[in-house]
Amino acid sequence: MDRLTCEAAFRQLDDYLDRALDAEEMRLIDEHLATCAACLTEFTFERSVLEHVRDKLRDVAVPPELLARISAQLADRTPSPPDPE
Amino acid sequence: MASPPAFEALFLGVVDSAFGTALRLIRNRPDAEDLVQEAALLAFRGFGSFQPGTNFNAWFFRILMNCFYSRHRVSQRRPSTVDWDDTPDLYLYARSGETGFPTGGPDPAAELLERLGAEQVAGAIERLPEEYRIVSTLYFMEDLTYEEIGHALDCPIGTVRSRLHRGRKMLQKALWQVAQEAGIVTPVPVGQPGEVASGPTHV
Repeated sequence: MDRLTCEAAFRQLDDYLDRALDAEEMRLIDEHLATCAACLTEFTFERSVLEHVRDKLRDVAVPPELLARISAQLADRTPSPPDPE
Repeated sequence: MASPPAFEALFLGVVDSAFGTALRLIRNRPDAEDLVQEAALLAFRGFGSFQPGTNFNAWFFRILMNCFYSRHRVSQRRPSTVDWDDTPDLYLYARSGETGFPTGGPDPAAELLERLGAEQVAGAIERLPEEYRIVSTLYFMEDLTYEEIGHALDCPIGTVRSRLHRGRKMLQKALWQVAQEAGIVTPVPVGQPGEVASGPTHV
């Protein structure tokens, strides 16, 4: 079975990190990374950049007063249940 | 009529990332709150069109982005402070190595990025051209597939993919510029080799 070259693996780096490859493509890259320390270092670095950027950007708390306003707004737009007979 | 508890239960699962996305896109807290509130109301009114069992977050983000586009015209192109042409691959990895930032430790990316604050990282994304900034923001703020991002932006998957991949390369260049401006890394003198070709650095 053909193994991937470093260049072939690298071409799929972004899709690999996004898990946008099929199972066989993922397996071939995992196989390559298991045998190429240099590619593993680069892939790991790129993945870490994405994870850290994601963590930094997601460090945002929704203001409690916004949630309260929205809940009140939704409640205003919901009809009351009919009175039981 | 949608029952508030059913809608609110789903909404509570998306409101953090929705507000974060709005804030990162608009960079103005009151406007971001208004955007999320407007989108929540529209989503509630249209909840009957949501297919139970499908991805509510992706469905909500479509509404959020429609509200965003209706409120915020794509900004006039400001002169970019970054040259985006042919941004090389592995930009941060290569530049880190050149300037002596350790690249052999257990998590060299963390060693650089942990020195940047959240607002500095957000500022780096803000430097990207609009179409790349929007796709990248959605990618980082919510766990959406290419297809779901495309649906939220009414944009073909291929366009999402290419903008996201190129946008992430641009972001690395912008992050490096932010790190230089903050004095975290030393600028490489003009005329010195500083750019690497595309592809893996070890081949």
